[in-house]
Amino acid sequence: MFAYTVKRLFQMLFVLWAVSVLVFLMMSFTGDPVYMVVRIDATDAEVENARRILGLDRSLPEQYWFFLTNLMQGEFGNSYVFRQPALDLIVERLPATLEIVLVAMAIAAIVAIPLGVFAGANPGHPVSRFIMSGSLLGISLPGFWVGMMLIYVLAVELRLFPSSGRGETLEFLGIRTSLLTANGWHHILLPAITLSFGTTAIILRITRAGMMEVMRQDYIRFARAKGASRRGVLYGHGLRNGMIPVVTIFGLQLGDLIAFATITETIFAWPGMGKLLIDSIYRADRPVIVVYLMLVALIFVVVNFVVDLLYTMIDPRITVK
Amino acid sequence: MTTPLFPLRRLMATAALALALGTGSALAKDLTIGLIADAVHLDPQAGEELSSNIMFYHIYDPLVRRSADLTFEPGLAESWALVDDVTWHFKLRQGVRFHNGNTLTPRDVVFTLERLKASLMSTLGRNIESFREVDASTVEIKTFRPYAVLPNDLAGILILNEAHVKEVGEAQVDLQPVGTGPYRLAQWTKEDRLVLEAFDEYWAGAPTIKTVTFRPITNPATRTAALLTGEVDIVQDLSVRDVERVKREADYSVITRPSLLNLVLALDTRDRSPTIPLDVNPMKDRRVREAIARAIDVNAIQRAIMNGLSTPSEQYVPATHLGYLPGASFREMYPFDVARARELMAEAGHAGGFKMTLDATNNRYVNDQQIAQALAQMLAQIGITLDLNLMPRANFFGYIRVPSDNSSFIMSGWDVPSGDAGSMYAAMFHTRGIRDGYGQVNRGAYSNPEVDALIIEADSTPDAQQRHETLQKVTEILMKDIPMIPVHYEQDIYAAHKSVKFTPRTDKFLWAYEMDIDG
Repeated sequence: MFAYTVKRLFQMLFVLWAVSVLVFLMMSFTGDPVYMVVRIDATDAEVENARRILGLDRSLPEQYWFFLTNLMQGEFGNSYVFRQPALDLIVERLPATLEIVLVAMAIAAIVAIPLGVFAGANPGHPVSRFIMSGSLLGISLPGFWVGMMLIYVLAVELRLFPSSGRGETLEFLGIRTSLLTANGWHHILLPAITLSFGTTAIILRITRAGMMEVMRQDYIRFARAKGASRRGVLYGHGLRNGMIPVVTIFGLQLGDLIAFATITETIFAWPGMGKLLIDSIYRADRPVIVVYLMLVALIFVVVNFVVDLLYTMIDPRITVK
Repeated sequence: MTTPLFPLRRLMATAALALALGTGSALAKDLTIGLIADAVHLDPQAGEELSSNIMFYHIYDPLVRRSADLTFEPGLAESWALVDDVTWHFKLRQGVRFHNGNTLTPRDVVFTLERLKASLMSTLGRNIESFREVDASTVEIKTFRPYAVLPNDLAGILILNEAHVKEVGEAQVDLQPVGTGPYRLAQWTKEDRLVLEAFDEYWAGAPTIKTVTFRPITNPATRTAALLTGEVDIVQDLSVRDVERVKREADYSVITRPSLLNLVLALDTRDRSPTIPLDVNPMKDRRVREAIARAIDVNAIQRAIMNGLSTPSEQYVPATHLGYLPGASFREMYPFDVARARELMAEAGHAGGFKMTLDATNNRYVNDQQIAQALAQMLAQIGITLDLNLMPRANFFGYIRVPSDNSSFIMSGWDVPSGDAGSMYAAMFHTRGIRDGYGQVNRGAYSNPEVDALIIEADSTPDAQQRHETLQKVTEILMKDIPMIPVHYEQDIYAAHKSVKFTPRTDKFLWAYEMDIDG
């Protein structure tokens, strides 16, 4: 177990390093950030001055070397545009993204798993057919369209929800969250539902597939035969054994949503970090993009590590090596 | 819009109205403004884009204030006078207070200019050579050469409080701004809301609207939705496809005005041009340039691409500016006329046309990509095969930068908020490479000694009227020479609740100090 953790840690460092190199290389093709900062009629001297202020007067390998040595000292570099530490800019926006993703994942789990179990256990049932067609819709409808329709119907026409923005926030353990106020929940529901749409559909379908597979096994029939309740069999034996792929997908989706909640955030003017990434790409703000992508890579690695550990809990036959 | 599908809506709207009336808005006037993006900076010397500029002018004041319709009037300086051709004395208003209680002194102005010179925004003070405190209420500013429009330039320089900057440290000015402006920062949650509260000791009188909240809502449809649900009172950049929708609502109005941003086409006039596979650059010939101007149907672009929301440009600068020549119009001198354009091409020996590349953005100007495509079709009519080289703005401005070694034909925008054609002419039409600070954006390498001499003449008189007349001569020559074809001004589109009294400014800076709310 210890050796496994150490091995994963090294893998993680390698992934982070690879991401930083890739971003540095990519950004050398995406235009010169200095022209995003100076005025359009700046003279050469003014451009050179700006270049020096931003540290862009050095060659790319030199810049990368500075980036690495600073990184060793815990410095992630300053944004060219904001002129503030890139990490601060991201961390400042992280709680808003995390809370919308967590609510979306909770909605997905609460809706998808029971429906998936039902559809898997009763494949021929008309309700199952209905659920499955619904899930197809969930996969096929693009998130931005769902978001716009929710805004149009529930906010503009019915006035049941606010159209955009984050509601009141409260500070809890040093993190500002809107999950502690009624107004905050009022604001978070539409974006979270929008974000959960695709994930709900995928988890539902995976759960159903797993259940169908498991329900054919002999031990399920024996469990029923020995008189265990249907519910006990479904959730205690069936779901538990069909859970491995569900947890895997859940982990991948979690990472995905944190990293790329961008579209939902833009549509609902949600002050998360996805929009920062898009803006930074437009502005060729390399320090922010590097730190952002490294953070996302870290989240993916950590989530998948946790998923691996979860396997051993769900199925004791599995051991990590 | 009537919606039989949702009868509940009317009920809700009535309830909301009753609630609004019940709480009564007469006590404290609040305004919420939906912007397209959050401010990046609150330190006016750290950078600029529209959202930041809007905040700057709420929090800080310049020495000279630019009015909504681009006239220049006293700001923190109550008066100014020329001592000699290059020396100006600005007399500061007495008893002006910063938000932290400090009183404005000439020292603050000197500090601001010193800091500006070393900052990324040093361009704003490029005509200023030196400055000093003369006495307790006077600042002296010297320019490199006689420069009649120094006051216009100063409208872009916002005055900081020296004591405050030193107290909080350079980096914190961005987050804890202190100025003399009508509003001070109350709360800024990045990407969510920026709240300003009225500064009641403001030298020009306490603001009518007590709290202004700015909300960044990037997605245009969401911005419209936030307006219609009453979450915001005004929105910037109403999406063109929502204009009709909002007009149908009784409680809202759509307000448009031409912006200062002139979309222009720069024509290469060098002997050989990078993207034209010919030994001699056809565009060196004025007749070819005229043919191109005549082949472009600006009205069709306005109608078919801009949904009517653009104003075809007559000249390089709008009528409010120094250097504008009344009565002269590109549209009358070179009206859309393909037959005449073909004749001109033939006279110049290019009846068979030629091939070149247009460099343009695809995410910077309204419908820039569609306009570029339309230009390709229009120029095909006179035999010019236009290859399109479209790129995002992050690449564009570095790519086209002088010496423009990759470009023959460039579409870009230009605005002159200082109300003076001189800075544009100096940067874009003065021969490049012979004088520092002149011709640095002359992408077509246009060179006309007469124009150079007139630009220098304009830049050597301290008299604004004389500058105006000199620049008018330049305008006249340029319109004959056609080094650049002006296309149109984009339209600024706002939508607001009817209770908000609001007149859009030429410079797009939404300014709550000039607004009011009924009731």
